[in-house]
Amino acid sequence: MKSNLKCINVSKYFRNNNGFKNQEYVLKDIKLEIKENDFITILGPSGTGKSTLLKLLGGFLKPSTGTIYFNNKKLEKITPLISMVFQEHTLFPWLNVEENVAFGFDLKGLRRKDYRDKVNESLEQVGLFNSKNLFPHQLSGGMKQRVSLARSLAVDSEILLLDEPFSSLDIQLRRNLQKLLLSIKKDYKKSMVLVTHNVEEAILLGSKLILLEGKPAIIKNQMDVSCSSYSDRYSQEFLALQKDLETKIEFN
Amino acid sequence: MEKIYERKFFRFFCGFLSFSFLIIFWELSDNQGNNPVTQVLPPPSQFLPVLFESDFKIGLGSQSATIYQSITITLIRVLSGMSLAFVGSIIVGLLLSLSKWSELFFVPILSVIAPIAPIAWVPIALVIFGIGNLTAIFIVFMGVFFTLTIATIAEIKRVPTNYIFTAANLGGSKFKIWKSVIIPSILPGVFTLLRLNFIAAWMAVLAAEMTGLRDGLGTVVMTGRNLFNSNLILLGICIIGITGFAVDRILLFIQNKFFWWSTN
Repeated sequence: MKSNLKCINVSKYFRNNNGFKNQEYVLKDIKLEIKENDFITILGPSGTGKSTLLKLLGGFLKPSTGTIYFNNKKLEKITPLISMVFQEHTLFPWLNVEENVAFGFDLKGLRRKDYRDKVNESLEQVGLFNSKNLFPHQLSGGMKQRVSLARSLAVDSEILLLDEPFSSLDIQLRRNLQKLLLSIKKDYKKSMVLVTHNVEEAILLGSKLILLEGKPAIIKNQMDVSCSSYSDRYSQEFLALQKDLETKIEFN
Repeated sequence: MEKIYERKFFRFFCGFLSFSFLIIFWELSDNQGNNPVTQVLPPPSQFLPVLFESDFKIGLGSQSATIYQSITITLIRVLSGMSLAFVGSIIVGLLLSLSKWSELFFVPILSVIAPIAPIAWVPIALVIFGIGNLTAIFIVFMGVFFTLTIATIAEIKRVPTNYIFTAANLGGSKFKIWKSVIIPSILPGVFTLLRLNFIAAWMAVLAAEMTGLRDGLGTVVMTGRNLFNSNLILLGICIIGITGFAVDRILLFIQNKFFWWSTN
C-alpha cells in the first residue's frame, strides 16, 4: 500500500496560561502532502513551530482546526506506522542498546527469536551492532541518536519523522549521520520528514523543501530540491539556493 | 583526576579513624576519677564484656533472648513493614495517578496523615493487633507508606513525556506503557526515598518495641532501664546503631545494583 499523509488547512493554537480567551496560534492553514518515498525537509527559524508541525503529523498533537489524513483515514492518534525520532534521545536508561531497539517488539509481546534478526539488521544499519550490550549512559550523543534511529527502523513504519535529531552534534558526526539517513532512505524506501534549521542539511537531504515563516507560521515556500545539482553541497546551484534561503531566514 | 577524599579506601579510613578517636576519648574520660557521666555512659571496655559474660543472652528467665534473636526479630519487623509500604505505595500511587479526580480527593488526606509520627500509631496498633509482630509491622508501615505514596505520585508526574510518546509510537497499549515505562522510570526515585525513610522506620520499630513488645532490640534497652543496668542500655544502643548502619548500607547496595538508572 502506498503511504500518504495529507494536511488540509491545519492550524494549531495553544491556550495561554492567563485565560481561555487568549489563544496563540503557532501554525496557520498548513497544506501539505507526503507521498511514498518523499524526503521532505521542513526549514525555518527556531521557535517557528516546526516541531509542533511534526508532532501533528505523528498524531502526538491534535490540530485545532483542519484535518490530517493518513492513508485516506483521519489521523486520530499515535500510530506505529508513523515513527518519530525526537530531538533529544528517548532511550530508556534501564535497557541496553539491543533491548532499546527491541522495545517495540517487546511491547507487542513477541518472542525474542521472532525479532532478533530484525533488531540485528537495524543495529548493523546504524553501525552499532558491536555496542548492543552497552547502556545509554555509556554512549556518546551521536550513538544515542543512532540507536533511536535503529529503534524506529526496526518497527517497519511507513513514514519516519525526524525532529532535528542532529542539532546537538558536531559537524563531522552530523555529516556521517546525514549519509546514514540517505542510505536508510535508499535501503528502506521510507517516506521521511526532517525538521531542521540548518539550510545546508535541508537542501542536501530533501527531495522537497518546505520553508516555514512568520508568527503564526505559514508555509512560505515549497520547492523541489530533488535534482542532482542539489546533492552536491559545493555546486553553484546548491550554494545559490543556500544563500537565498539563509537570507530569507535571517530577514525573518 | 580523582581527589584523595573521593577514594573509597580513604573514606573508610577516615570513618575508622573518627570512631577510634571517639572510643579512645570515651575510655580516657573514665580514668579521670569518679566521673558521674561515665556512670551513666560506661565506656566500651565496661559494657562490651556484658555481651560475652551473658553468653549473648539478654533478659530475665523465660523472656530472655539471644542478641541474634533480638536483631533478627527487629530486622524482620522493619523490613516487612518497609516492603509492604514500598509495594503498597507504588500500587496506590499508580491508581491515584490514573485519575485527576482521585488525586484531587485523596492526596490532601495523605498529606495530612504523612507527617504523623509513627509512634503516635502505637496505642491504636496495640488495640487492633495486640502485642505482637503485627503491631510493629503496622507502625513501620504507617510511618513510611503515606510519604512514599506522595513521592510515587510526584515521580509519575516527572516521567518525561517523550518516553510515553515513544512507547505509544512503538505500539504500546496504556497498560504496557505503565508496566514497561512508567514503573521502571519511578522505581529508582521511590526506592531512594524508601532508603531515606529507613531511619524513620527503624526509629518507629524501636519505639514500638520499647513501648509495648516483649522482644527485639528496643526491648534490650528497656530491660537495661528496668534493671538499672547502664551497661545493657549502652550495649543495646550500640547494637541498634551498628545494625541500622548495616541495613542502610545493604539498601544502598540494592539501590546501586538494581535501581541505578536516572531518567533526568
